[in-house]
Amino acid sequence: MDKITALQTHNLTHTVTSKTGDLTILKGIDIEIKEGESVAIVGASGSGKSTLLGLLAGLDRNTSGEITLYNHSLTSLSEEKRALLRGQYVGFIFQSFHLLPSLEAIENVMLPSELKGDKQARQKAEHLLEQVGLSHRLTHYPRQLSGGEQQRVAIARAFASEPKILFADEPTGNLDEENGKTVIQLLFDLNRSQGTTLIMVTHDNALASMCDRQLIMSAGQLKEGNL
Amino acid sequence: MSFALRFILKEMRSSEVITLIIALIISVGTVTSISLFVDRLQLSFEQESANLLAADRVVRSDEPFPENWQQHAQTLGLEHAQRTSFATMIFANDKLQLSQISAVTEAYPLRGEFLVDDQLFAQGGPAKQGPAEGEIWLSSRLASLLDVKIGQSVEVGDKVLQIARYLVIDPGSSTSAFAVSPRAVMNAADLAATHVIIPGSRVRYSLLLAGERNTLGQYESWIKPQLKDGQRWQTPKQKGQSIGQTINKAESFLLLSGTLAVVLSGVAMALASARFVKRHLMQVAVLKTLGATPRILSKLFSLQLFMLFLIGAGGGLISGWFIQAGIASLLSSLMTTALPEPSIGKLWLGIATGFISLLAFCLPLIIRLIQISPLSVLQPSARIEKNALAIYAIGFVGLYGLMCLYTQGFILPTIMTLAIAGVGLVVSVLGWVMFKLGRLATSGATSGWQIGLASLYRRLTPNLFQLLVFTLIIMLGLILVGIKTSLVSDWQAQLPEDAPNHYLFNVQANQVEGINSISQQLDLTSSSWFPMVRGRITQVNEDLVEDLYPEGTPEPELFEREMNLTWANEVGDGNQVVAGDFHAEGISLEQKTAEEAGITLGDKLTISIGGIHYTLPVTSIRSVDWSSMRPNFYVIVPKQTLADYPANFVSSFFVKADQAQDFYHAMSRYPTVSILNVGDLLKQIQNIIAQLSQAIQLVLLCILAAGALVLVASIGSTLEERREEGALLRVLGAKASLVRQALIVEFGFLGLFSGLIAALGAEASLYAVQTFVFKSAASWHPLLWGLGPVIGVVLITSIGVFASRTVLKVPPMHLLREF
Repeated sequence: MDKITALQTHNLTHTVTSKTGDLTILKGIDIEIKEGESVAIVGASGSGKSTLLGLLAGLDRNTSGEITLYNHSLTSLSEEKRALLRGQYVGFIFQSFHLLPSLEAIENVMLPSELKGDKQARQKAEHLLEQVGLSHRLTHYPRQLSGGEQQRVAIARAFASEPKILFADEPTGNLDEENGKTVIQLLFDLNRSQGTTLIMVTHDNALASMCDRQLIMSAGQLKEGNL
Repeated sequence: MSFALRFILKEMRSSEVITLIIALIISVGTVTSISLFVDRLQLSFEQESANLLAADRVVRSDEPFPENWQQHAQTLGLEHAQRTSFATMIFANDKLQLSQISAVTEAYPLRGEFLVDDQLFAQGGPAKQGPAEGEIWLSSRLASLLDVKIGQSVEVGDKVLQIARYLVIDPGSSTSAFAVSPRAVMNAADLAATHVIIPGSRVRYSLLLAGERNTLGQYESWIKPQLKDGQRWQTPKQKGQSIGQTINKAESFLLLSGTLAVVLSGVAMALASARFVKRHLMQVAVLKTLGATPRILSKLFSLQLFMLFLIGAGGGLISGWFIQAGIASLLSSLMTTALPEPSIGKLWLGIATGFISLLAFCLPLIIRLIQISPLSVLQPSARIEKNALAIYAIGFVGLYGLMCLYTQGFILPTIMTLAIAGVGLVVSVLGWVMFKLGRLATSGATSGWQIGLASLYRRLTPNLFQLLVFTLIIMLGLILVGIKTSLVSDWQAQLPEDAPNHYLFNVQANQVEGINSISQQLDLTSSSWFPMVRGRITQVNEDLVEDLYPEGTPEPELFEREMNLTWANEVGDGNQVVAGDFHAEGISLEQKTAEEAGITLGDKLTISIGGIHYTLPVTSIRSVDWSSMRPNFYVIVPKQTLADYPANFVSSFFVKADQAQDFYHAMSRYPTVSILNVGDLLKQIQNIIAQLSQAIQLVLLCILAAGALVLVASIGSTLEERREEGALLRVLGAKASLVRQALIVEFGFLGLFSGLIAALGAEASLYAVQTFVFKSAASWHPLLWGLGPVIGVVLITSIGVFASRTVLKVPPMHLLREF
C-alpha cells in the first residue's frame, strides 16, 4: 500500500514586492512528500530555501499555485485557520532555538500542548525532556542552558504537539560539532520512533545525506538531487 | 488558559512591564489625588460660601415668587426658607432712619449663623435662628442712629417691634457689600402687618434652599427655564466671586500640572510598550508557529493588558487616595474647619486616565505585535509593519482627550498640544541641522568627540525622537518652574498678609481726619480716601441712554443704575491705564465696563449729578484688578466736576484680629459711618492659597517621578543598539575611555540642545498660558534660559552615561556573542 501524502505542492510560485520591483523567489515548484519521509532542502544562501519552508509550513501565503497539507489546502485559509492547522500537524526547530526566555525549560515544552488545551501537558513535557536527556534541567531558564541544551529543549517542544510534519531550519547552524551530532541523533531517533515526516533546510551536506531525499534549491526552482 | 496566566505572571517581572505599571500608578495616582483633593477643596469652599449665602442655593426675585416654587422644594425634600429684603424708614421716639431690613422665616439661615450681641459694637456670638415674632434685631449703627437700646421699641411701617439683640452679621447679606443703609432683621410673620410693601416697592425676595447636590441639581433644572428678567439662580460660587476665581485658577493650575504628569507617564508607557513589543516580536512569531491563533494571542495580550490595568490603576487609586489624605492632613493645621471627606465618585477620573492611557499608548503597539507574520522566525526581515504615524496619532488623540477631560475645556489642551507640536517641529528641524553639522565637522572617526557627534546623525530618527522627549520633559519642568514662580507669587502678591479687611464708607469730609487719627493710634494700614458722589450716565455722545436701551432691553451695567463717581490725582494701585491719558481733562473708564457698553476713547458721556448734567470726553481706559480688595471705581471724573458736591469718602483698612474690638469701640463715635468687615472672606482666600501651594509641591513630585521614568525608559529603548556599537568599537581596538568620551559627547550634546529648545518652548508656552488661561500679564523668564541647558546637560549626560555603563563594563567578546 502506498504511503499517505503528507505534503504536496502544485506550481507553487511566490513573488515579493520590493523597492526595485517584483521579485519572484519561487518559480512553479511541484513536490510531493510522503508521510514518514525525511527530506533535506539544500541550496545557496538567498536561493529561497527558507521561503519555501515557511510556505510549506503555512507560515505565510503563497502568491499562486497550491499547497496541500494532509488534504487541507493552505492557500485559501485565513491566518486563524492556518494557525490551528500548524498546531495540529506541524512542529518547528529553528537555527537560533527561539525558546521563550521568560519561561522555564519545561514550560517551553508544555506550550504547544497547552495551546491545544491538553491537560496532560506537564507529564508529556517531563517525558520528552527526559528523552532528550534534560530531566535535570526542567526548571532552568533558557539563559541558564548551553546552546546544545537549548536546541534539545526546542526539539522536545517540537515533538510535544505530536506533529505529523517537523520542519527544521538549519537545526545545527548555531552548534558546535559535538552538540550538533547529539541534536541530529535525537532528531532522527524521534523522527523514526514517532513516524514523523521531517523536512529540513540545511547547508550541511553530511546532514542532508542522512535524509531519505535531497532537494536542491536553485534560482527559485527545486530539483531532486543526490549529494 | 492556565498557561496564559503563568505567561503573564512571568512577564510581570520584566523591566518594561514594571515600567508600564509604575507609569500607570504615577498617572492614575496623580490624577486621583488632584481630583479628590480639588473636590474636597471645592466642597469645603461651597460649604463656607454657603454660610455666606445662608443656603446651598438661592432663587432671587424682584417680585413675589409663585407658591409652587416652595412646594416643589418641599416635594423634593429640600430644606427651604425665605428672606424678604427691602429698604424702609424705621421710626423710634422722634427719630427716623432709612434702613435695610430682612424679614426671615423660622428656618433661616439654612447654612451659617447670625452673629448677635447684647452690647453695642461688640464682636457677637452665634445665633441659629432669626428674631421671634414681634421682635427685631438692629445693627449697632442703626441703634446708635435711632438712639435706642435693647428692650425698647421701634416702628416698621404700621408694626411696633421690640429690640431683642444687636445684629453683628446676617449670614445671607454680610458680603453684599455696598448696601449703605444700616441693617435690621425681623420675623417674616410680622411682615404683612407692617404694610410697607406696596406695589412698586423695591423688594428682593429670596427662596433659600439646602440639601443634597443631586436634588439641588434637579431643582435647578426644574426652575431655570421658568426664570424671568429680575430672577436669578445663585450658587455659592457666584456669591463669593473672588474666591471662585481663585479656586478656578487653582484648579486649572493643578490640572495643568497633573496633565504634565500624565503626558510624561504616557511617553514612558509608549516607550516601554515599544520595548515590550520589540522584545516580544520573535516570541509571538514562535507562538504562532506553535499553533497560537490570532484569537488566542488577542486573548492572551488582552488579559495581560487587563491585569496591567488592574495592578496599575488599583495601585494608582490607592496611592492617589493616600497622597490627597497626606496633603489634607498636612494642611489641617491651616484650616479653620475640617475638609469634607473626599467623594468616592471622584475616583472615576483616575480610572479613566489609566484606561485611556493603556488604550492610547499600549494597545496600538500590542495590536501590531499580534499582527507579526510567523514567517519572521525564518526571515528576520519579515518584521512588524511599522505604521508609526497611526500609532502616534492614537496616542495623541488619547492624550488630548484626557486633557480635555481634566480641564473641561479646549483652550488649555490646545495650547499645550500646539506647544508640543511646535516643539516637535522645531526640534526636528533644528535637530536635523545640528546633527548634520556635527556630522560634517567630524568626517573620519578618530576621537570620542567625532564618534559622539557622528553617531547623533547616524541614528537620526531615534535621536530626533529622544531629543524631542528630552526637550519636552525639560520644557514641561521649566513651564512648571515658571508657572510656580510667576503665578503663585502673583497670587500672593495680589493678596499680601496685610490686605485690607475692613471698608469704611459713608464717611463725611469732616470725619476723615478723626478716623485717620484712630488709624494712627491703632497703627493700622490703610489705603487712601476716595471721595464718592452718586451720579448716573444719561447720554452717550448725542444719544440719550433711554433711547439707546429702551425699557425692557438689557442694558450695560454702566447705564443700569446710579453709580459711585470719584476723582483721583494718580492712577490707583491695582489700576493700569490701557489706553489714553489718565491726567487729561476727562472721564476714565474701567476697561470691561467700557467694552460692555461699547464706549471707546473720545466718546462723550453726559453724567447727571444731583440733576445737573456734565458732558465730558472719555480720555482714558483702565484695567482694574478687582481682587485687590481695595476700593475701585468704574468711573473716575475730573476733580472740579465733583468739587461742588458733598462727597462721602471711602477707604479700606487692615485691622488685626486683636485690634478689632478697639477699632469698633473707637469707631462707635462715628455711628453714621458704615463698616464692612471682609476679613473672613480674605482669610478664606489666603487659606485656599496656602492649601494649594502645598498641593502643588506634591503634584510637582509626581511629575518629577514621571519625568525620571521617561528618561530611564527612553534610554533603555536605545540601550541595546548603543551596547552593540560600543562593543564593536572596542572589538575594533578602541579603548574604553574613547567609548566613554563618545557617550558623554553624544548625551551631553543631546542634553544641551534639548535644554536650549526647551527654554524656548517653555517661554512661549508660559506666554500663552499667562495671557490666555490665567489672564495675567506675561513676563520674561531669564532663569529658564540658564536652567534649561544646565539641567539638560547634567541630567541627560549623567543618566545617559549611567544607564549605558554596561557598554563600558561588559567585555566586547560577550557582547558580540549576544548579538
